[in-house]
Amino acid sequence: MTAGAEGLGEEAPALTYASVSGRTRRRLIFDRFIPWLLPLAFVVVLFPLFDMIFWVAQKAVPTFTLATLTETQVGFGGGLYSMILGTLVLIAIGTAIATGIGMAAGFYTAEYAPRPVATFGRLAGNILAGVPAIVLGYFGYYLLVLYTNWGFTTLAGGIVLGIFMTPYVYRTTDLALTSVPPTQREAALAMGARPRQYLLRIAFPIALPTVLTGIFFAMALGLGEAAPIVYTAGWSSTPITGLMQPTSFLTGAIWLFYDLPPSEGTLLTLAFQAAFLLILIVLGLNVIVQLLSDRFRRRLQGLFE
Amino acid sequence: MSAEGVPTPNGVALRVRHLYVRARDRTILTDISIDIPDKEVTAVIGPSGCGKTTFIRSLNRMTETTQGLTVQGSVLYRGQEIYSPSVAPVLVRQRIGMVFQRPTVFPISVYENVAFGLRLEHQPEDRIEQEVQHSLVRAGVWEEVKNDLDRPALSLSGGQQQRICIARALAVRPRILLMDEPTASLDPVSTQRVEATLEELSQEISIVMVTHSIAQAARASTRTAYLYQGRLIEEGSTEELFERPKQKLTEEYVTGRFG
Amino acid sequence: MALLPFLILALITGVLLNASALRNFGWSFWSFSYNFLPQTPDQSSWGIGVFVLGTALTAGLAIVFATLLSLALAVSVVVYLPSGPSRVLNMLTNLLAGIPSVVYGIWGFVILAPYFGITVEPTLRSFLFWLPGFGGPASAIGSWGILLAVFLLTIMIIPLTTALMRSALQSVPRDLVDSAVALGATRWEVARRVRFRVARRGLSSAVLLGLGRALGESVAVAMVIGGVTSLPVSLYSASTSLPSFIFFQLDSAFTYPDLLVLLVEFALVLLIITMVVNIIAQRLTQTELATATTVGTLVGREGELER
Ligand SMILES: Nc1ncnc2c1ncn2[C@@H]1O[C@H](COP(=O)(O)OP(=O)(O)OP(=O)(O)O)[C@@H](O)[C@H]1O
Ligand SMILES: [Mg+2]
Repeated sequence: MTAGAEGLGEEAPALTYASVSGRTRRRLIFDRFIPWLLPLAFVVVLFPLFDMIFWVAQKAVPTFTLATLTETQVGFGGGLYSMILGTLVLIAIGTAIATGIGMAAGFYTAEYAPRPVATFGRLAGNILAGVPAIVLGYFGYYLLVLYTNWGFTTLAGGIVLGIFMTPYVYRTTDLALTSVPPTQREAALAMGARPRQYLLRIAFPIALPTVLTGIFFAMALGLGEAAPIVYTAGWSSTPITGLMQPTSFLTGAIWLFYDLPPSEGTLLTLAFQAAFLLILIVLGLNVIVQLLSDRFRRRLQGLFE
Repeated sequence: MSAEGVPTPNGVALRVRHLYVRARDRTILTDISIDIPDKEVTAVIGPSGCGKTTFIRSLNRMTETTQGLTVQGSVLYRGQEIYSPSVAPVLVRQRIGMVFQRPTVFPISVYENVAFGLRLEHQPEDRIEQEVQHSLVRAGVWEEVKNDLDRPALSLSGGQQQRICIARALAVRPRILLMDEPTASLDPVSTQRVEATLEELSQEISIVMVTHSIAQAARASTRTAYLYQGRLIEEGSTEELFERPKQKLTEEYVTGRFG
Repeated sequence: MALLPFLILALITGVLLNASALRNFGWSFWSFSYNFLPQTPDQSSWGIGVFVLGTALTAGLAIVFATLLSLALAVSVVVYLPSGPSRVLNMLTNLLAGIPSVVYGIWGFVILAPYFGITVEPTLRSFLFWLPGFGGPASAIGSWGILLAVFLLTIMIIPLTTALMRSALQSVPRDLVDSAVALGATRWEVARRVRFRVARRGLSSAVLLGLGRALGESVAVAMVIGGVTSLPVSLYSASTSLPSFIFFQLDSAFTYPDLLVLLVEFALVLLIITMVVNIIAQRLTQTELATATTVGTLVGREGELER
């Protein structure tokens, strides 16, 4: 039993790296080399991310004070107060609309719609997510600004933003519900639960974290959009007073001030501060999304095996 | 090349000594020592989850494709430790091939499937053509597919696909073929064909076959190893192990009292 | 209820069709001559050619670069890197998807443009002058132009294409990968000969969805492309694109009804192009544009490392 290798194939077969030559050798060398080469792409891609965050912070932070958040921009001075307020109102309207339409449509697609309808709905949802934001902006401008005779209003901006966000909530809701394991449903129905009870008591709680992730993600995207709202919510320097008034918002501040000459540098700085704030908010939402998904993935892991 | 052509004096293809395979939190295989004879069919049997798949995957370093598994111990292939750091796993797998439970043809033509391993080494086309035909003949499907070489391999029947997979493994001229329940997904007729193929092949190479079917082990193998809960309980000639098992556990298993 | 998204889509298309009344879709619409004369609108020429060219150039080049980089990223993560670093890198890449396009724009306009003008463009010109497009003169208006737009677009779509490619490569059955490994294929060969081949629909779909994004990006491009309606002579030229032009001009269009109609027709063309691209991508395989960079990882299972 302990005899070891003596007597076995005296001349060792060519299995070592050193024993091969030519084509095979080149293959092995290439395979050692490429794991170091390919990830260099991460440097190419992530360097801009850090560069962007660095520069925006560098331009924004030195003059960033509490007043930046609490004061309204007047002339060359003041802060981002009215824009923050406007953004919050816009995103609130948008989230309400997107959550309403998106979750309802997602529920029906996942649970009730006949298969061809569901397929069609999903296709439409994905296409809607691919509609360029500026097309939505023009649509909103034509329908909600001109046709309705409202003029530029916060409401119009919020509605268009909601439409922009809808497909994300819709697809997430549907995806979350359809990936609840069918065994859950069978078990629930076998125990005498009605379909509606199953949906509300079992499927929805399981799907909720994913749906929340989708909503947060949609909010992050909506916060950063300018194209759908610039020509619907208009612009007003004073803090928002009503939904039928135009409003200012963070992305608009960047769009309006980014190309001002250095003589009007304080406004350019304000634009960078808006950018900085947006990055913070978006990164914050992303961290929440990641934590949520990590946490729930672990909790739900057993379920999806 | 010529060194490998020389048969080993004592007819051992693989010598496994004190092999442990561990996952992060548990030991899957414990202290396995066994000699795999040259030019014979060795069946590996045992109840579900006992570590059969893990065992044969550790024989050509396929365990390394799974994250979190660590292998300890020694596997000698013709005197060469395959787990030595200077050994290239790619070269080990060229010598020690593997066929899986379900047919795993690539979504390309029959011909290209069998040629896959040869193309990696950029063999000349006439050599490839020759080798493809020869391998299909050895795997016992040549007659069935010789007119369909350009058809997608996925359009063939399951049994044919599995034998294409065997041909594909044979085309790189392995000295040992590891098979993980090669007939588990096949109908009886296809199973019979594959078993016939195995017998032919064992004239030239060594075969290690995991099987769930005790009857198949009895039919198609000359040696059998019985694994239970990650340990090698007994191994020996198939006849002995089935007729006169030395261990009680083995007896219970081969007489069908559990497993 | 399940058809709500479709109804919205139909509403958008309907409103745009109604607004345009298909007025200008004549011969001259499909030409390269664009010259808007506010005083005498009747003598203006409304060719869409320059805009389509600018869109195609910026989005086309961006998707080429993004495809190459994303493939490298996706293969690194799926094939080579251990799961710890992979997760961190995935997360960072996904962050790029969340950065607002105005932020890309202001960074490109204020920070990158001077750097491009002083360093990047002269370097490219001196090394790649023999390549068409790389040898031309600098832009007259500053370093805002096609090259900068391509750079921003590339970075902006990479998170999407990478996420989609990652899941396409991961969805290749473990058995097939193992089979190739057992034939003595190296990890790279497994990726190139098996994963790429098996996942080719998913990969193409990822490229198309990325292209759709690049085609439709308005704000960031508007901020860095220069907004010039003459034909570009090199990659350093300022140019324009459909979405950025609409975004830029909507302002002035308020006073010129003719321009407003023209813009809606541009928007229609853009909508149709992106829809077609998206539909083809969807038909290739079931891909999720909306959820690619976030929740896919929550419901999908993470792939195993392959060696
Ligand atoms: N990567 C891994 N990590 C942790 N545990 C593992 C891993 N791979 C296998 N196992 C465990 O090791 C044991 C043996 O698995 P293996 O697949 O080798 O069994 P098997 O005998 O082939 O079973 P079957 O007859 O069902 O195919 C099982 O209990 C399995 O859960
Ligand atoms: Mg097994």
